[in-house]
Amino acid sequence: MNPGVAAAALAVVSVATAVIGFYGLRISRTTGDFFVASRTVRPWWNASAIGGEYLSAASFLGVAGLLLLSGTDALWFPVGYTAGYLMLLLFVAAPLRRSGAYTIPDFTEARLDSRAVRKVTSLVVVLVGWLYIVPQLHGAALTIRITTGLPSWVGSVAVVVVVCLTVVAGGMRSITFVQAFQYWLKLTALAVPILFIVFMLAGSGTPALAAPAENPTGLAPAGWYTNVSLLVALLFGTLGLPHVLVRFYTNPDGQSARRTTLIVLGLLSVFYLFPTAYGLVGRMFAPDLARSGQPDAMVLLLPRELIGGPAGDLLSALVVAGAFAAFLSTTSGLVVSLAGVISQDVLGAGVGGFRLAAVVSAVVPLGFALMTGSLALAGSVGLVFAFTASTVCPVLLLGIWWRGLTDTGAIAGMVTGGVLCGGAMIAGSLAGAASTPAWLAQPAAWSVPTAFAVMVLVSRATAGRVPKTLVRVMTRLHTPERPLATGR
Amino acid sequence: MTRVRVTAPATAAHPVTESREAAQESDVGQVFVRSLIRSQLRLALVVAGGFLVILGAFPLLLAAVPGLAETTIAGIPFDWILLGVGIYPVIGLSAWLYTRTAARNEARYRDLAGDP
Repeated sequence: MNPGVAAAALAVVSVATAVIGFYGLRISRTTGDFFVASRTVRPWWNASAIGGEYLSAASFLGVAGLLLLSGTDALWFPVGYTAGYLMLLLFVAAPLRRSGAYTIPDFTEARLDSRAVRKVTSLVVVLVGWLYIVPQLHGAALTIRITTGLPSWVGSVAVVVVVCLTVVAGGMRSITFVQAFQYWLKLTALAVPILFIVFMLAGSGTPALAAPAENPTGLAPAGWYTNVSLLVALLFGTLGLPHVLVRFYTNPDGQSARRTTLIVLGLLSVFYLFPTAYGLVGRMFAPDLARSGQPDAMVLLLPRELIGGPAGDLLSALVVAGAFAAFLSTTSGLVVSLAGVISQDVLGAGVGGFRLAAVVSAVVPLGFALMTGSLALAGSVGLVFAFTASTVCPVLLLGIWWRGLTDTGAIAGMVTGGVLCGGAMIAGSLAGAASTPAWLAQPAAWSVPTAFAVMVLVSRATAGRVPKTLVRVMTRLHTPERPLATGR
Repeated sequence: MTRVRVTAPATAAHPVTESREAAQESDVGQVFVRSLIRSQLRLALVVAGGFLVILGAFPLLLAAVPGLAETTIAGIPFDWILLGVGIYPVIGLSAWLYTRTAARNEARYRDLAGDP
């Protein structure tokens, strides 16, 4: 790959992101603007922005890489990511919007009337956010290294710098514009090269090098436990991702929150067709990419591999731009939501506190990313989903739908889920990928039900602690808002 | 710059008049509210359950019918088509059905509970 072309693509994406972000500075002035874009973002904008944030390094690079390695087994990832969003629509979208809270800890404090719950929730949310940012930075490091030959740390640092500038400048409002732009950029960046490749292959009638069912590296297929547990993690984990939930508050009301989610599902479904196509084409026409040791780079390398010449270079540059957009957008979304949490609970609310919190939210995971090597992107993101599914998801679901939840129960459940899942993740990384048993490698199938069970049992045991504001809060969460005078 | 305290404003998103709130929190009002919550929960569980059943049926179908997974349509093996493409319309349909029915439930609540 021509390093000059790649570097140019990366520079263009970074500059465009920063410019759009600064443009947001002229519009956002109040703290409300900073936190949740003053609840005036319309469904299509919002949906594009959610799609932009949600489609991270794992979706852009990791899914195709896993498909190359494991074939149809890996199709559970894109399906799980999208279906997780469906669960969000069904169980969380409208009530969360109606709660009026800015952040998840806001919601749990309002629902359970307890500052202790708020503190624990904030801690969990920050952990989840940092865990999710690290793979994005790894993805950026990989992209920089493969495409320009620069050292890996340049990629991670570049993402953090651009994100900090954009977030500090405009908070949520500018982020919305940026994210919406980046969804469409990512979609184009992925679609154009693969369509080119498919037409070229179909036209020239080149025979496939390998059958799609053949595993290029002879890896054993994942057992049913891993697939089921992964699906549990993805289905339940999406509900709890902080950068996803924070966008609900930017809708005018509950029904528009649902409509936005519906549009997001459409955008995600269309998007995931393309990594799937890359995976299939890669397995059939470029199986040696799997043996190169960096399957996640497959999307970046395939256009040049199969087309070659200046056209291949240009198409690869397009993909690289899209990949970088993915890291930038997800990281920005996470940093904004984390900054919201940290500044409200630790640094004192207000625009200055938010900016400082944003820098902290971005720099800490950078340190971690620089110290650790990259694991398979989609896999490590799968573990983050498992952690979220075991901590934030139970408190959200039970808080919204069950009257019996108490503050003690919520804390007990979150701590249990966090310790169990976190412990499994640490044990897995210490043991190494090869020697970790399946139940430890993907703990969601047992950590999620356990967290739920603990939350329910402890709440039952402390039934006297049900908040006095229960009736008012539940009514507000579930009843439709008064129709506005405009008659919408 | 003046310090702005950012908390969750209690009524910013939900400008409700006092009399409406009182009506909702009365015993009679709560009957309607609880019934709405129950319908919405039941709807969500049914849609989620139905979707998961279909999701589980796809791989089972591929495993049960010999040779189905390898049959190709336009050069693409059927298992890739089913799991890589076919599942998304199912998700979309479930979402669309849910959104419509949830809105209907809420409209019914509004008719029953009325606005004072």
